[in-house]
Amino acid sequence: MTPSPSSAPRPVINVARLPASALDHRSPIWWGNLLLLFIETTMFALMVAAYFYVRQNYNLWPPPQVNSPFALLRPVPTLSLPLISLAVLTLSAAPMIWADRAALHRREGAVKIAMTLAVIFGGVLIAIRFREFRYLNCRWDDHAYSGIIWTITGMHLLHLIVGTAENLLLTAWLYLHGMDEKHARDVRVGAVYWYWIVGIWWILFGVIFYGPRLWPQGQL
Amino acid sequence: MEAVLLQLTSHITQSGYGSDLAAAARGASMLDPGAEQAAEVAKLWWFFFSICTAVFVGVIVATVLSVWRGRGHQSAAMPPPAVEKEPRRDQGLVFGVSSAVTLTILLLFVLLVRDFFTDRVLGTPSAPDALTIRLTGHQWWWDVEYEDLLPHNVFNTANEIHLPAGRHVQLQLQSSDVIHSFWVPSLSGKKDLVPGHPTAMWLKADRPGVYYGQCAEFCGYQHANMKLIVFVDTPENFAAWQAAQRNPAPEPTTDRQRHGREVFLSRTCVMCHSIPGTTAGSRVGPTLGGLASRRTLGAGALANTTEHLRRWIVDPQSLKPGVRMPQNELPSEDIDALVDYLQTLK
Amino acid sequence: MNSTANEPLTDLTLVAPAHLAKRETELDQKLEKVWQRPNGIVGWLCNTNHKDIGIRYVVTAFVFFGLAGLLAFAMRLQLAVPDNTLLGPDRYNQFFTVHGTTMMFLFAVPVMEGMALYFVPLMVGTRNVAFPRMNLFGYYAFLAGGLMLYGSFALNIGADAGWFAYPPLSGPDFAPGKRVDFWSQMITMTEISALVAAVEIICTVFKQRVPGMSLNRIPLYVWAMVVTAFMIIFAMPAVMMASGLLAMDRLTNVTTHFFNPAEGGDVLLYQHLFWFFGHPEVYIIFIPATGFVSNLIPVFARRPVFGYTPLVLSLIATGFIAFGLWVHHMFATPVPELGKSFFTGASIMIAIPNGVQMFCWIATLWGGKPQFKTPLIWVLGFIFIFMIGGLTGVMLASVPIDRQVHDTFFVVAHFHYVLIGGAVFPLFGAIYYWFPKWTGRFLSESLGRWHFALFFVGFNLTFFPMHILGMHGMTRRVYTYSAETGWGTLNLLASSGAVVMGVAMLLFLANVWKSRRTGETAGSNPWNASTLEWATPSPPPSYNFAQLRTVGSRDPLWIDSPETTALVDGLSTEKREVLTTTLLDAHPDHKYELAEDSIWPFLLALVVGLSFTGLIFHPIAFPLGMGFAYLVFILWFWRGNEPKRASLPHVSEGAAS
Repeated sequence: MTPSPSSAPRPVINVARLPASALDHRSPIWWGNLLLLFIETTMFALMVAAYFYVRQNYNLWPPPQVNSPFALLRPVPTLSLPLISLAVLTLSAAPMIWADRAALHRREGAVKIAMTLAVIFGGVLIAIRFREFRYLNCRWDDHAYSGIIWTITGMHLLHLIVGTAENLLLTAWLYLHGMDEKHARDVRVGAVYWYWIVGIWWILFGVIFYGPRLWPQGQL
Repeated sequence: MEAVLLQLTSHITQSGYGSDLAAAARGASMLDPGAEQAAEVAKLWWFFFSICTAVFVGVIVATVLSVWRGRGHQSAAMPPPAVEKEPRRDQGLVFGVSSAVTLTILLLFVLLVRDFFTDRVLGTPSAPDALTIRLTGHQWWWDVEYEDLLPHNVFNTANEIHLPAGRHVQLQLQSSDVIHSFWVPSLSGKKDLVPGHPTAMWLKADRPGVYYGQCAEFCGYQHANMKLIVFVDTPENFAAWQAAQRNPAPEPTTDRQRHGREVFLSRTCVMCHSIPGTTAGSRVGPTLGGLASRRTLGAGALANTTEHLRRWIVDPQSLKPGVRMPQNELPSEDIDALVDYLQTLK
Repeated sequence: MNSTANEPLTDLTLVAPAHLAKRETELDQKLEKVWQRPNGIVGWLCNTNHKDIGIRYVVTAFVFFGLAGLLAFAMRLQLAVPDNTLLGPDRYNQFFTVHGTTMMFLFAVPVMEGMALYFVPLMVGTRNVAFPRMNLFGYYAFLAGGLMLYGSFALNIGADAGWFAYPPLSGPDFAPGKRVDFWSQMITMTEISALVAAVEIICTVFKQRVPGMSLNRIPLYVWAMVVTAFMIIFAMPAVMMASGLLAMDRLTNVTTHFFNPAEGGDVLLYQHLFWFFGHPEVYIIFIPATGFVSNLIPVFARRPVFGYTPLVLSLIATGFIAFGLWVHHMFATPVPELGKSFFTGASIMIAIPNGVQMFCWIATLWGGKPQFKTPLIWVLGFIFIFMIGGLTGVMLASVPIDRQVHDTFFVVAHFHYVLIGGAVFPLFGAIYYWFPKWTGRFLSESLGRWHFALFFVGFNLTFFPMHILGMHGMTRRVYTYSAETGWGTLNLLASSGAVVMGVAMLLFLANVWKSRRTGETAGSNPWNASTLEWATPSPPPSYNFAQLRTVGSRDPLWIDSPETTALVDGLSTEKREVLTTTLLDAHPDHKYELAEDSIWPFLLALVVGLSFTGLIFHPIAFPLGMGFAYLVFILWFWRGNEPKRASLPHVSEGAAS
């Protein structure tokens, strides 16, 4: 920039002593994560809208299951394992909250343990989720209804996998290199992502598992 | 004024391609309505056009003036910016912009209201004596079925529709494969034929004549050759035509024609085509009843002449590539006989 | 904040000008070393400089523009006379599909993104975007998508179901082979690229503005890009869903039934999903152009813009309302009539904020001294052509009128008027304006006027007759028509217009070619403009600004003075550091270190591109691709995180917050 023509002294703000990172919404990465959550929430919202849109085409909802030996007239998804999965998912927020707060207070040891627990929870949840598909009581290619609930469940599984994979990577780093400011921030941002994974599943679970029960369509 | 503008636009489309054109241009323009529906829309369109033109002229004049005013201040190097606030000048601008915005809102509201009035007029009429036609879209032809309460009065044609002038017609629209769209601009706006969503629209053609249209939703390879001709007949002519269609196909009179019918019934033709009055009843392809009185073959792909019919039967792919009809290798005299027979189907 | 003490963490001192000059030279040298671009071919692949990435986007987008333009030219040749045999139905169907897809996904959105990625960081006074490596990844994703589409097209298996690919025509029953699958995976790649650019823009604008640039002082172009970025965030998921569900319906072993009416699926579901994206998409293309116009007009009217606040509110209103219009693309379908009325109302209502913008621009010109130079000439052309397009748009908002002209050449005319008039004209204006900043040389003014004149005349000659053709029955996407229709004359006229447009574009290329070598040289602020990109040399150094300075107004270079602003000092000259500031008022907040150049974005894009290409053929590509992507990501995260300097503080156990 061209130097000022005036001969008066210029004010100069020196920012050298500002902190080198932020651990909360003041960090650009936190915003980047938030925007990602907007994108994914929009996706799920559209899927839920598609679920209800397609429902107009049916007299019975869920549509009858004719591909199994004993045909089911209204195969609502079975609740047993999915409810357990929902409970475990909600519990998995606990180690993440712990890691979140520990990172905020710069307690490296606590963060390491909490993140390890979070990764274990994640792995268990992924395993349960793969089994959970059976409890939807339909194959993904039976009809439009089955396609949509498999897609919703599958997309959420994708988030479980991505979240756990990220946590795994971060945990490995923490054990190998310790926790610096940047990674403390990463732990906190990852925690926000995990809270979203838990929260959004409550809504999706409600739609898939309770929707047909509370608002049945058609006469048996 | 509308008539003058219509003349002008018709002239533009009419130069140098032959006398047939006057008729064609007359029968295929949304601004040359032959039915109640199209007439309403044409009126609405001119209303919108006038207001939009006025707005356009206003904005362009304002823009040109605003640049014209600055013509004395041009310089190669950019003059210094006027950053001091000028309350009087800006007050004038505030007034100008606010008025323009208010006027815009008013005009848009006027357009909206006028539009809703047209919508109401175009709604479902009360029409106890309506004629019902079921139109099924296929790749790339139209199946037209005239409904009736008495099953033996129901008959089919393909690609050409006859309508009685002055009578309400309900067109029931459905598709057997992909999305198509029924559109005859001089008669009414279009409606899509969507698989899984059968729907209906109303028509009341008032002016007898010939009207042209074509499929208006991209439906694949030969979308360009999925044309429609609508004949709006006087009520008497329509009744006569309808009666003729309800009769079975006439018996062939010559030996060659009889041989032709035999060829038809013993070859693959019957797998797709039907002829009322024979045992051929397949609905896969267009019905051949009334084939001889149609103007075109292949849903508008070519004119209906003996030579074209012959070539079409032998190798439709060369005339309308991609069409669902296969080539047919037949001995020459069989084809002649077949063509002869088909030309008796009036 | 770390410290619980009440002392501020920024120091304000006074420095004499003589020291400043010396300091600036020192800064230049040190910053150049830290921010320098990497060398060689590998270096070119690793370069995370936002200006270079922005230019790559723009140049690549223009290459696609040229390709799509050639396709359009061929289509116009085919349609010039009735019953023409230049292009058969299969070719023609591929041509119009690839033309539309290229223009919408590979030109219009990326070029706007590219311009934004170049100028937004400069305009807000920072040194790079928030996530430089992700930015580079976004570019490669875009390129991969384009290669996918054109690769298949070159092999004569190009997509041929239209740029919106409605099922059932695009479904497994009626579109055999892999044509539509290439299309849908291209959508995925370009959608990822757009989302990446959107995240970059929002995070950069929200967090990295120079101190003093509160939200009500950011340039209107930056506002336009922020609104656009939010629209991208909420609209792109819809097209990803539409194309993804279509891809699943088509993929062997998956064969879902989302759009299969026989199994309860719904063909209209696709249309709703697609147009929920599709309508905002056109505003995603148009709003950046209004940003260009809002930026250009004050400079060439030689006064600050009239109505900054109404213009901002109009942008935001347009952004919101744009999401409520989509069913107007479906007025001919069997959607409930009452619902359609709502969309008529919304479609008419969106003309109001557009009108506010238009009137504020004209008011700026009226209240100023308009300088009749090429950038302004393009803006005037924009006003003329966009008004026509916008007004035919108001006509299309009416259901009865739309049912007549939908899917005809009237609509083709309408959207070319709004897209070319509304986006391409301002884009050319912006290019003539910013070329000196990019290259240090002006584009030729006289060649520029010829370019404009020919393009303007050619455009109107090509597209105006199409309004009439549509009203006279000519439907879209027809590879030929017969002589009896009477459409021949107007089609011939339209095709001759296309020739004129082609010549105009050749003139433009000649202008760019010539001016790069022998154009009149330009300094840092040749137009005497007011925004921050002009406060640095032309072309800007890799670090944008040696010495950042605060802003105190909306037009810093016109209004701010040394007395009312301060220089900003204290950012590192050893590593790539930027200053983050608070969201609303841009107070200095903390320092944020940006990553170095890296090869991982390229490698990740390669893996992702190959995975999505594999997904065209078999679903196993999905888990395999995810696995490889994870591996690359591990390496990216690990290698990119090794502390290169000792300055990263290691956190001690139990430190108080």
